[in-house]
Amino acid sequence: MRRFLISRLISAVITLLLVATFVFVIVKVLPGNPGRQMLGPQAPESEVVKLNERLGLNRSFVDQYFSSMRDLVTLRFGDSFRTGDNVMGLVRPALWRSVKLAMLALVITIPLGIWAGVFAARRQDKLADRTVVMAGLTTSSIPDFVTAVVISSVFCVTWRIGHVFATPPAGSNIFTQFNYLIWPALAMVVLYFGYIARMTRAGVINALQADYVRTATMKGLSAGDVMRTHVLRNALAPTITVISTQVGYLLGAIIGVERVFNYQGIGLTITDAVKAKDIPVLQGTVVLVALVYVVASLLADLLIAYLNPRVRLGGAK
Amino acid sequence: MNFRLLDGIRRNSSALEVDHIESFAQGRINRRQFIQRGSVIGLSMPFMGAVIAACGGSESQSSSGASNLNAKVKPGGVLKIANQKPSGPIDPIAMDNLGAYTVASIPLEYLCGPGEGAVLAPMLAEKWAPNADGSVWTFNLRKGVKWHDGTPFTSADVVATLDRLSEAGLKASIAKGAAVAKDETTVEVTLLAADGNFPYLVSNWNPQALITPVAFVAGSTVDQMKVGTGPYKLDKFDAATGCTFVRNDDWWGGKPNLDGVEIVFSDSPDTQIQGLLGGAVHAVVQFPVIGGEAVFAQGDKFLVEGIQGASHRQIWMNVREGNFADKKVRQAIAYGLDRDAIIANVLRGKGDLGNDHPIAPVYEFFDKSQPQRKRDVEKAKQLLKEAGKEGLAITCHVVDLQEISRTAELVKSQLAEIGMNITLNVESTDTVYDSTNEPAGCDGGEEFGIVDYGNRATPDVYLGKAYATGEWNSAHFNNAEFNGAFKEYQASLDTAGRAKAAKKLQTIASEEVPYAIPYFVNSLTAYDKNVGGIKQTGLGHYYLGKAGFIK
Repeated sequence: MRRFLISRLISAVITLLLVATFVFVIVKVLPGNPGRQMLGPQAPESEVVKLNERLGLNRSFVDQYFSSMRDLVTLRFGDSFRTGDNVMGLVRPALWRSVKLAMLALVITIPLGIWAGVFAARRQDKLADRTVVMAGLTTSSIPDFVTAVVISSVFCVTWRIGHVFATPPAGSNIFTQFNYLIWPALAMVVLYFGYIARMTRAGVINALQADYVRTATMKGLSAGDVMRTHVLRNALAPTITVISTQVGYLLGAIIGVERVFNYQGIGLTITDAVKAKDIPVLQGTVVLVALVYVVASLLADLLIAYLNPRVRLGGAK
Repeated sequence: MNFRLLDGIRRNSSALEVDHIESFAQGRINRRQFIQRGSVIGLSMPFMGAVIAACGGSESQSSSGASNLNAKVKPGGVLKIANQKPSGPIDPIAMDNLGAYTVASIPLEYLCGPGEGAVLAPMLAEKWAPNADGSVWTFNLRKGVKWHDGTPFTSADVVATLDRLSEAGLKASIAKGAAVAKDETTVEVTLLAADGNFPYLVSNWNPQALITPVAFVAGSTVDQMKVGTGPYKLDKFDAATGCTFVRNDDWWGGKPNLDGVEIVFSDSPDTQIQGLLGGAVHAVVQFPVIGGEAVFAQGDKFLVEGIQGASHRQIWMNVREGNFADKKVRQAIAYGLDRDAIIANVLRGKGDLGNDHPIAPVYEFFDKSQPQRKRDVEKAKQLLKEAGKEGLAITCHVVDLQEISRTAELVKSQLAEIGMNITLNVESTDTVYDSTNEPAGCDGGEEFGIVDYGNRATPDVYLGKAYATGEWNSAHFNNAEFNGAFKEYQASLDTAGRAKAAKKLQTIASEEVPYAIPYFVNSLTAYDKNVGGIKQTGLGHYYLGKAGFIK
């Protein structure tokens, strides 16, 4: 297990370094004068030059690269060109907002999707199975922002039972926050429910046909015990992988949902940074999303390894 | 007409005031124009009321369209407003977008405030008046005004602010040291050149002219200094999501009606409108016609106010070099535009025809006799042929704001009919306005594009900054005759003089076409019918001094 863990950690670090290098190169390729952008059009050129020197922009490319990598390791991304605020001060609240929304969506989607997948698999090729498969296919093929617009228009505008803007008032308790976040979360649930349900269904159908399940059933174990102990442990590996890859997506790429519900998460923050050529914020958000993505993948690998010993032992040899 | 009363008024008036009274008495300007211009040269409302009465009219002003401006409101409540996200730090001197104007003008105030339409009303200055030629203006400040931290507001604050502005937005009008405090409540401002419209430059019509304390450090932002003289004090500010304000019980205008104001930032007009429809906000500061149909459809719940003004879109063309150096190419574009179709399709009729100059029909000195340019495809083709630019293929840089990208699509298809092949490059406001990659897109960095200009009470900003030698001169237009006419216009204190200069400006701009201006757009705001006292000012930002809930 230790060897497995070390190999996964090394690959995670390499992934992060590659992302950081990619972002650094992109930033260097983009045109712009950070000093001018921070000080504004009225500032004298001499002040702009001084600031650029202070930011280390007159150093060699290699120097700047290693300095940038050091800053990334310590999560110091400098100040926003747009607002002048510290990048982490801007990105942290956005990331936290995204995390809350993604967690709520996952808390609803994962049990619902797994339950629906198992339900369908146990009724393979029957009406219930077809219904789950068709519903999953339908919902996962609708873009998230379309679902968000429909939910917002029906529940929040027409029926007025939800909040059009999902940002809860400052200092709200957990129930109020839930009340605000449930509507954009539902848009994400509608999208991901189908993925998880279909993935779980396929895994369970495969497992149900395996010899070890037949053996366990013939040993006289109850259907529930067979499902928990033998089927789900083996069937959920692909589902967990899907969930882990969706975590990164849920955090950084639900721009449509965030825009419809005016929720300033990491997705809208990245969009704003791109529009304003706010390089430090762009760097900070992309690297943080990559970090979350890598950590989620690592946790998923560990969970799969825990559930399935063959994985941590290097597969069936 | 009551000649005895009118003569009495004339005898006690300066030459400038007499000229203005005569213009009204002889019917050269209407009542609205009389009040608007009178407010600029410092005539009080009672004085103008007396003149109107003497001339046989009523002093009451008519309000255009449905409005809750004068509705009776009750104390209490928090007004929630959806507003464009500021595109940068809210530095009151350097800000350049409506999102920032709305936020900054709640705690901070101007010397001259918004009255009806383009009329100026006393704000931090109670009275103002020019000398005989309009080169020196004296402002008498309101007494007893306090900053939010309890410090008294004095002439030193105004002098310090104008000194800061002399190196920024007012550098074309005043030099450092131009403002002198005569006493605690009197400031005298000597201009670089006579300007009969100077009070507009220290009013809500010039958003960066907000008065800041003497201790204000240039480059500070509204959220950093958290001070002002206005009806609401900044409480919390988050550049990403919005800000809140609380009532200033010590406001000079009396206790404000609302307990507070909450501004919600959103860059999407659709989201803002959705917020209004769903009750998340009570008002949307500005929204485009297209996308706002749902608000119009619910007239029983919401009030939509449109200000007919001078806000317009400029299709800029670099006159100095490149494809547009030949005037014929620029004229071809002007003749290729179907302006009526653009107004009908993009603005749903809520706009006025443009004639390739920035002097809007709402200005009292607008020259109506100038023929309106109409679409002439054959003429446009001929002009392109003569210039050797048949089949010209070019990229048009378009600011992504309100209706402009739709306008660009129509312009592209209309100009395709004269043989031009346009590639649209729709860019964010930050990219187009950005001065980082100097010169920026709309500051002359690209040869062809479309950019927005907000509403102004006078065309001075357009004429100075975009046409003369200003920093927004995307077209690099520099025409001695035009510059001379602009100086003549600025120096004119009387309506006839300004009309004469405006006629020249209109003619030169239309002939030279550094900018094709297809239309002037109405500025639209919408709010809940239960809200009263909201005043949308010149550039579209709100004045909330009298705002409140009706029930």
